[in-house]
Amino acid sequence: MTVRAMIIDDSRAMRSILRRILTGLEFETSEAGHGQEALDQLTAGPVPDLCLVDWNMPVMDGYTFITQVRANPAWRNVTLMMVTTESEQSQIVRALAAGAHEYVIKPFTPDAIVEKLEILGLTSKGIPA
Amino acid sequence: MSVAAPELTDVQAIVEQVWSSFLGEAEPLLPQPVPAGAPFPAEDAWSAAITVNGTDGGWSGMVTVELAEKVAFSLTAEMLGVEDVEDGDVADAVGELVNMIGGNIKSLMPGPSALSLPVVAAGRAAHSSEAVEVARFDGLWIGQPVRVSVHVTSIGEN
Amino acid sequence: MSPHGFQSLAALVRRETAMVYEPGKEYLVEARLLPLATALGVDIDTYISRLGTDPTERRKALDALTINETSWFRDHSPYQAFTEEMLPAVLAARADRRRISIWSAACSSGQEAYSIAMLLDQHLPAGWTAEILATDVSTAMLTRVQNGRYSQVEMNRGMPATSLVKYFTRAGTDWEVVPRLRQMVRTRHLNLADPYLGLGTFDVVLLRNVLIYFDDVTKADILRRMSGHVAADGYLLLGASETTLGMPSDVASLWRREQLGRVQAHRPVLAAPQRSTYVPPSSTTAIGA
Repeated sequence: MTVRAMIIDDSRAMRSILRRILTGLEFETSEAGHGQEALDQLTAGPVPDLCLVDWNMPVMDGYTFITQVRANPAWRNVTLMMVTTESEQSQIVRALAAGAHEYVIKPFTPDAIVEKLEILGLTSKGIPA
Repeated sequence: MSVAAPELTDVQAIVEQVWSSFLGEAEPLLPQPVPAGAPFPAEDAWSAAITVNGTDGGWSGMVTVELAEKVAFSLTAEMLGVEDVEDGDVADAVGELVNMIGGNIKSLMPGPSALSLPVVAAGRAAHSSEAVEVARFDGLWIGQPVRVSVHVTSIGEN
Repeated sequence: MSPHGFQSLAALVRRETAMVYEPGKEYLVEARLLPLATALGVDIDTYISRLGTDPTERRKALDALTINETSWFRDHSPYQAFTEEMLPAVLAARADRRRISIWSAACSSGQEAYSIAMLLDQHLPAGWTAEILATDVSTAMLTRVQNGRYSQVEMNRGMPATSLVKYFTRAGTDWEVVPRLRQMVRTRHLNLADPYLGLGTFDVVLLRNVLIYFDDVTKADILRRMSGHVAADGYLLLGASETTLGMPSDVASLWRREQLGRVQAHRPVLAAPQRSTYVPPSSTTAIGA
């Protein structure tokens, strides 16, 4: 079953990098430039399995997006992974407390993303036998 | 007590990690010292800047990246995975580069602070006469100059 | 570096790691090997010619040339097997002593040792002690393990975010292991091809992805001598595609393979030869009064 992933980042270059990594894993991808745009897409459906979320974005930042998603029971199965330069311990703790399932610090290598997806059980390697 | 500047070793580590993560192990970024005060050693350059705006005593500063034109275009092609590169593409890629470097420097320095959007220009960086350079890294990628510098507007309390 | 030197090196790297160094990348090889050659006081061609016969330098050269960011919880399933199968078995077997000892043999920068330490912190019951011995042929690597400091890029590799914030504190752009984890790990310099003096026995030995650096004779010798250091009811974990199958029969007969989940563990078959010359009293001797 194909994994559907939404890439939420205001940087076109970063969306391009992440899109290439995910399509290499045969994920279906969609994109949004900030949290509000992403919420609108979630509401319109279909709901993705995974969101890669930047923190610092205009209109609605990634932290706020995560709190909004976790507040909606209809979206409780969406896996949320932050991908951000925010690397202070307190920021990571905040994001995890708000409901992020995983956290990748920029810069990252493609391997790092793949390994985080394995932790989340979202690649074929991670699916339990 | 306010901390004026990031450690040079930390700035170098950030730049090298950003570079090696996205621009491949195959072409390393090699440190290339340039004398203090010397202008950026490339004729055609692109530059990008991002500011860290501190509040309540958080650190404020500006992070600038200067790249030889060939570097700007080559790294754009690699980051975006495209062959034909236009100005808008370079602005996107170089903007993201300074965003990542600036964001990591922001995370190093005392907060609270906010990161601005990056600004990219087809030209050398120019700094106000009141800006003080507190850290600088010079390097070569594909044999061409790269510079990352950190400026503050004044040393002392915000 | 001569073209021949580059070619023979590229062949070695390809054979050992499947990584390909194509012509045009000579400068990269030079940049990465020159410090190692200089440390030995030789030029790069001389250094390259030594790699065929010097396993220590070969290991160092391959580490320097291959993309060397080791992951945390590498391959995932061995750590799952550790938590779900091996640890419960050891807890049952050592209930009297309440001590577990683990050897990370060829620890490199320490991600393996500290990954195990994290799992022990999560699953070891109160009142138990754990000792993790981390050995490596490289003193530079041992220093890294002792410092327990890792770069941001290294921390991205396979580390669950909840473990990152629980077990590490930020130090500049690096992350440092918390003291209570660092206290579980001690380091010792050891070349696996050399005798294992005074090592004792361990409940779990991790010997993962290092045998490839040795020739067949040494590989067999290591696996032979290793059986003396794994507890009779203990476990030896090799790398994902490594096995004692195909080893000379005297070595293969020392180990039996046991499937634990998706992982194959090796368990000792014969006890280590007795070292003492103690001769027990004959059965006709009366004991006691």
